[in-house]
Amino acid sequence: MRGADYVVKRVAFALLTVFIAITLNFVLFRALSGDAVSALRCRQCSAAFKEAQRRDLGLDKSKWEQYTLYLRDLSRFDLGNSVPSEKPVRGELVEPIKNSLPMIALGTLFAIVFGTLVGVISAWRRGTAVDKGGLYTALGFYSMPTQWLGLMLIFFVASAVGLPSSGIKTPTLGLFTDASTWDLLIDRMKHMILPALTLGLVLYGDYALIVRSAMLETLGEDYVLTARAKGLKNWAIVRRHGLRNAMLPIITLVALSLGFIIGGSITVEYVFSYPGLGLLTVEAIDKRDFPLLQAIFMLLTISVIFFNLLADLLYFKFDPRVTT
Amino acid sequence: MRARRVVGVALTAIALMAVSGCTGGSSDGDTTGGDTSTAGASSSDVLRIGTTNYIDSLNPFNYIESQAYTAMMMIYPQLVQYNADFEFEGDWAESWTTSDDGKDWTFKLRPDTKWSDGEPMTAADAAWTINTTVKYKDDATAVAAAALANVKNAEATDDTTLVIHYSSAVGNVLPQLEQLFILPEHVWAPKAGANGKGLKTYKPELNLPVVSGGAYTITQYEKKGTTAFKPYPDFYGPPSHASGVALTFYTNADAVIADLTKGELDWADQVPFQAVNAVKKAENVVVNEWPGSETTNITWNSNPAKKKNRELLAPALKKALSMCVDRDQIIDVVFAGYATKVESIVGHISPLENPNLGPLEYNCAAANTALNKLGFKRGADGIRVVPATTGANAQGEHKMSYEILTPTSTDFNVDRSFDIVKDGFAKLGVKVTQKVGGDATATYAIQTGDCSGPVSEQYQGYDIAMWDWVGYLDPDFMLSVVTKGQWCSWSDTGANNPSYDKLYVKQGVTVDPEARKNVVYALQKIVYDNFYYTQLTNHVAIDATSKKWTDFESELGGYSKVYYTSPRQP
Amino acid sequence: MSLIEPIQAADEDSLAHGIAKTSRPGFVRSTLLGNRAAMVGLGIIGFFVFVAIFAPWLEPYDPTEKVGPVYAPPSSEFWLGTDDGGGDMLSLLIAGSRVSLGVGFLAALVAILIGGTVGVLSGYFGGATDTVLMRFTDYMLVIPDIPLMIIAAALFGRNLTNIVVIIGIIYWTSTARLIRAQVKSVRERVYVKRAQALGAGNRRLVFKHVLPQVAPLLIANTVLMIALAIFAETFITFLGLGDPSTISWGRLIENAFTGEATINNAWWAIVPPGVCVTIVILACTMVGQSVEDGLNPRLRVGHVSVKRFRVRPAGTKAADK
Repeated sequence: MRGADYVVKRVAFALLTVFIAITLNFVLFRALSGDAVSALRCRQCSAAFKEAQRRDLGLDKSKWEQYTLYLRDLSRFDLGNSVPSEKPVRGELVEPIKNSLPMIALGTLFAIVFGTLVGVISAWRRGTAVDKGGLYTALGFYSMPTQWLGLMLIFFVASAVGLPSSGIKTPTLGLFTDASTWDLLIDRMKHMILPALTLGLVLYGDYALIVRSAMLETLGEDYVLTARAKGLKNWAIVRRHGLRNAMLPIITLVALSLGFIIGGSITVEYVFSYPGLGLLTVEAIDKRDFPLLQAIFMLLTISVIFFNLLADLLYFKFDPRVTT
Repeated sequence: MRARRVVGVALTAIALMAVSGCTGGSSDGDTTGGDTSTAGASSSDVLRIGTTNYIDSLNPFNYIESQAYTAMMMIYPQLVQYNADFEFEGDWAESWTTSDDGKDWTFKLRPDTKWSDGEPMTAADAAWTINTTVKYKDDATAVAAAALANVKNAEATDDTTLVIHYSSAVGNVLPQLEQLFILPEHVWAPKAGANGKGLKTYKPELNLPVVSGGAYTITQYEKKGTTAFKPYPDFYGPPSHASGVALTFYTNADAVIADLTKGELDWADQVPFQAVNAVKKAENVVVNEWPGSETTNITWNSNPAKKKNRELLAPALKKALSMCVDRDQIIDVVFAGYATKVESIVGHISPLENPNLGPLEYNCAAANTALNKLGFKRGADGIRVVPATTGANAQGEHKMSYEILTPTSTDFNVDRSFDIVKDGFAKLGVKVTQKVGGDATATYAIQTGDCSGPVSEQYQGYDIAMWDWVGYLDPDFMLSVVTKGQWCSWSDTGANNPSYDKLYVKQGVTVDPEARKNVVYALQKIVYDNFYYTQLTNHVAIDATSKKWTDFESELGGYSKVYYTSPRQP
Repeated sequence: MSLIEPIQAADEDSLAHGIAKTSRPGFVRSTLLGNRAAMVGLGIIGFFVFVAIFAPWLEPYDPTEKVGPVYAPPSSEFWLGTDDGGGDMLSLLIAGSRVSLGVGFLAALVAILIGGTVGVLSGYFGGATDTVLMRFTDYMLVIPDIPLMIIAAALFGRNLTNIVVIIGIIYWTSTARLIRAQVKSVRERVYVKRAQALGAGNRRLVFKHVLPQVAPLLIANTVLMIALAIFAETFITFLGLGDPSTISWGRLIENAFTGEATINNAWWAIVPPGVCVTIVILACTMVGQSVEDGLNPRLRVGHVSVKRFRVRPAGTKAADK
């Protein structure tokens, strides 16, 4: 019953954190910046809209009442209305999220693949120049400001290899003439590569380190000695035991690194004009669209909490050393 | 093996996600798509335009961006437009006559015209548009009503005859009417609502396809993405040579130029000044320059009821400060030399620009002397101090330290402009810090304050700003922005000068060109003498086009439908 | 709890934290980064600190003035060319070091002060204080830092002080956990108990016995914090939320982006500021990493990921010893 105990505790913790995040959101946007949140600064808003905002947000009521209203709205998944467009914020998030997810996933994939490669090679050639070189390169990329790396890729790589340097798709593809799904897909993938690569390069350092540690640990284990004695080649050992050892930490790391990816993707999307959640955040700041900002922030926070919880549960489930 | 499989699965998953997101890509949900395919068109016939200015709205009663104006011109019929010589030619109107007293204008419209939804386009639509705009001119339709000042009403005597009745003879009928967009009554009338408020909030761009009657219909709108203009087959005028026009918004000017030089765009509608020389070297691109209609300025909050820093209302002070702004350096650094100094609010583009203003000399020594004489002594830290005042609107003693508000959405580097202004002011012992206001809407909201609140609370939120104006050939529009009538509409200065306002009305009804010119000159002088703005520069308009296309009419942007319909592939 | 013990790290609560742990401490330390790395890193940091301090004397030109044509390529006159305003790139770079390093150090200081205090209080007093403080820290840890930073910068105005405070407030959490763990283990050491038995007051104990033991770790963490803070500053500035009146490396990168450097082929406006940031962050990482590893090999927090991912607790509170 220890297992269930643990799961319950972790879920409870996650829920509590979500609640705190929601409250923090409220405090940050309403209580502290006061009037900045009000829908009053909107040249193009109709009077009816402003009245509705005043009513819904309860801007003339006490902070406590506003807080209760806020919680009530949240429970109904009502994230408020975007000020410039007067439309529900909820709707504005869908498209950008759909745009960001594949790119972020690809970036994480790059990081895992590079990281694993470098980690394995480094562990194999432990102590040599290859090892040090690989590690320092990884650390080097890790130390680069994400937006700068993006700029560098645009400047030096994009034209050289014929990849687009901005946007999510070619604007006129499929606009006035029909285009096949395959063409559309290839177009999307082409636009996704550089932004994802930027994310991947900055991230892979950590994966490399983990894989390397896991490898080293495995390679030193007794059963490996036995396997070697039996004639099993190094590579087979690495593949069979080392990688498997590394899988779990990698998965957990993916979950944990979500917080960074989200932050990093903001500048990456800005540099590449990639219309995802990150660029939406930047634009919302520019437009002073506080309801939208609030919703984005909450979405990001809850995602991170959720993935942390997932990491916890995964680790708990799969780590053979954890006994119940 | 396992690793490879995992990678393979992951890649497929990513691909699937990418495809699922294939329906549009705009980042703020303002996306609607409709039927966009043109039978038989190859995509190379499509005119691909790249821009860093987006279309914020397709509602003529509620827009800010000039790109919106350009787009509306393409899709809505207008009575008249400019030709290549900047004279008037008919758009929907074939001909026009005036009554003897100049108060009645009769327009003969082209017959057998219809809207894109099949409904007949008749003079009744024009009459409805004009009457409705005039009816709600004090509130809902204020943004468009400026063009119809002095219009009493309009009537459609038959399907192709429109008569506009003016309350007095007006000297600039055609330039004013050129700004009017005719709307389909059957679509817009039901939206009006109480006091016409619905007209201002209706968003045609979200109800595609927009019912239009111009050279194009809009079949796809993405505010921060690509807007598609499909040629309207029943357009009454010269049809589009391109089989379609795609206007794509870029967040970064570099990307526009990069795509143009790569051949992925056919037209960059604005080349950033720092990039001009680099673009001129590109092989497959032609760079076009022509006199621009945009002026940059320092905007002074001129609301007489302003509560803070009232010393900034004094023209003498503003003039002294302006004398130490190195406009030549701004021209050099910000515009790479592609600009000239300007004094008048209407800009060099207008034939009625007053050439006798100023010029404002650049002389920091004289400015310092002037400030000393005005009684603003320097404090121990070198910053001048404003002495306390008494009486109504009394103020305590305070330093000359202000915030200058700047928007993020300018097409020139306003940060560098600010740096130069800051340096200039610093030499005079005045400290300024930059306050970034956000995009145009956000910044303007800071300037006006709450427009639905009490008037006493409006135009209190800033002291100084730096922005720009895009003027017209006829000075009427630019002269109107400092009137009380344009508060919360086009006014950013909050100026409130009754005698100016009276004179402004007068220029509108003065028919004799020479007499009108004098009034217009006088108005510009009032603005100049009061320093509602310190005009800084008037820059050249520069765009770049692909050599694969020809017959561009870059100068007619915002002046004629020919701007989009003319370019063709030889 | 036996659940946690097998994966015991110095920061014992963290379950998922035990990622990089191996059962052979020597491995990580001796093969990751050695003392030489720390020395090199220190040298690099020292160099930049020197440049930052003596910036006004080292700049060949006044960075705020237009001294040459816009985007002039590197020449004998302008070693790194000029930027989009005609200012000397090298001077700008030198001037920028002041703000970048300054913000980095100050923000790290704020983070360390808050985190250190929380960690010491929590580790030393244990019990309810510990629980409350650590719960609070845990919650703070999950909130994504960069979005929070960006939104806070947008809301609270754009000046340097605010930015320093914002960065500091967001990054104190991992320090707190680290210090707490260390304080706890120190506290258990014999001489502290002895001193306590002899009647030494809390304050004395903390300052005379606990802090000196914790100090090296604090220093190592500070260095890593500095790297984080510099990184954060470039992020904030790049999005246009920085202080418009200051020159920093982040600002230079932003200028390159908004000033059409790419189309002008002005690599000298793009490459140098990023290289400087990378080198400084790399150096800080090397130093911090080596010091942490060297201090306490069993301290599994000596892992690169603590910087980015702000390790958060997985298991329930491990039994306080």
